[in-house]
Amino acid sequence: MSTLHTLAIYGRESRAQIVSTVRTPQFVIPSVALPLLFYGVMGLGLSKGREEVAHFMLANYVIFAAIAPAMFGFGAGVAAEREAKLIQLKQIAPLPAGGYLVGRLAAALALIAASVVLLGGLAWFGGVRMDAWRWAATLGLGLVSTIPFAMIGLNIGLRMGSQGATALANLVFLAFSLFGGLWIPLSAMPGWFGDIARLTPSYYLGQLSQMLSGMQPMANVEHHVSILVAMTLAAVFGAWAAWRRQTA
Amino acid sequence: MSESPTQIPVGLLSQVTKRRGATQALDGLDLIIRPGQCVALLGPNGAGKSTSVALLTGRLHPDAGQVRLFGGDPRDIDTRGRMGVMLQEAGLPHTLTVSEQVDLFRAYYRRPRPLEEALRLAGLDGLENRRCGALSGGQQRRVQFAIAIAGRPDFLVLDEPTTGMDIDARRGLWTAVRAEIARGAAVLLTTHHLDEAEALADRIVVIDHGRVIADGTPEAIKSQVSAVAIRCRTRLADADLASLARVTSLSRDGGRVTLLTTSATATLRELLARDETIDDLTVTGASLEDAVTGLVQAGSPAQRQTEVA
Repeated sequence: MSTLHTLAIYGRESRAQIVSTVRTPQFVIPSVALPLLFYGVMGLGLSKGREEVAHFMLANYVIFAAIAPAMFGFGAGVAAEREAKLIQLKQIAPLPAGGYLVGRLAAALALIAASVVLLGGLAWFGGVRMDAWRWAATLGLGLVSTIPFAMIGLNIGLRMGSQGATALANLVFLAFSLFGGLWIPLSAMPGWFGDIARLTPSYYLGQLSQMLSGMQPMANVEHHVSILVAMTLAAVFGAWAAWRRQTA
Repeated sequence: MSESPTQIPVGLLSQVTKRRGATQALDGLDLIIRPGQCVALLGPNGAGKSTSVALLTGRLHPDAGQVRLFGGDPRDIDTRGRMGVMLQEAGLPHTLTVSEQVDLFRAYYRRPRPLEEALRLAGLDGLENRRCGALSGGQQRRVQFAIAIAGRPDFLVLDEPTTGMDIDARRGLWTAVRAEIARGAAVLLTTHHLDEAEALADRIVVIDHGRVIADGTPEAIKSQVSAVAIRCRTRLADADLASLARVTSLSRDGGRVTLLTTSATATLRELLARDETIDDLTVTGASLEDAVTGLVQAGSPAQRQTEVA
């Protein structure tokens, strides 16, 4: 396999998955609209005139916007395609291992990029102002946060049936959003919330997002990043093991 | 065996065992598919047909024994690049159009067929821009066939290819498969339709309980069982019928009994003497279906192990 041929396949597979996603409005519209709606009401509506609250909430909502598409579109979506027997042929065809997953990840990233950019636009209209690099870093982190959530979602998607995967992904999605402090600041919650928060990737991503958007001083960055990397690697390993087990 | 020793088999299963859950799906199966051959794999449900296909296509790994595709490992991607597969149970993404889906699979191969050619051979003219989710079952099977031939494969694996197709579509697909054979492709066909096996295959392998119980040309398989099939309505019980002279197997289909015999006259003489009410009597040469039923019924694979090829 030449590299060029493999890259071309990844490109074609990604394009097909993106086209397929765009043609599923029942998935795309809620994925994009929900974070916008929540942010519009809770981030802008309730904070009228207090830009720092809108700013603080934006940093949380770019992470929130990534969780659902990554966990449902990517993770639980794999379970649905396994159940609909769409994956077998791709495993047999001379498609490089992982080509299918790369395509699906590209589709999730495209959707989340659109969602995060729209959130940024809404925040700007709501009066949020920061340096250009902070905008890029905050929105970029939202996009990057796709990776850990997608890998956790993939573990669910490869290990469970379609219905079970959707139910569990929902539960994990709610837990990550709530305990990660993305909806309500952890400072406003009882102390034990903070203990649980430290088990979720969304907490660390939220913290980093606050730092990048300038709402919190840079501190413990290496600690946060290394925990996120460890969580992601564990999820990648778990997904790899589950993928291998399918062809035992 | 007439081939030269250097000729590498297209597909090879050698002394393969594979357990799936509680059942021994394959139990020392031997199967060789040579270049240009069209082999039909027949057998009752659970005989090991789909497990054999899963092993040859690299989806499963044998517990013991050897599986080779073009002399290599089926799990190696370059080896699989010479194979095209139509799976019985595979689905299609509802949101992609027919040409988008076939074109995507073309991209996986080094030297794919032109898109128009693949669509035309599969009989998909006029359906190119239809979403796969809006197709009938038979049309979806044709898309699966287009995917299977998209890479101009040297080895075509067709698992129950005509399920859900009407008669015209079936004949259309047979024509397309014959064209692939004429181009030099080897074919492995699993089917429940014996007319399909007879129409396409130059070699038939019957398996049961994960072992080969017969292997030969359709003619050889037919002659191997018994020459003649007697069909009739009779009030005799199975045990009486089986004890008639020269009967090798018997099966019931509704009210009718089919007896396979090595001597129609000997069997008929006794049959007519025992049951004077006999009705609806025909005597024909055994069909391929009779032959396969007879072989499977004949029981223990060890006794029936045959090497006709």
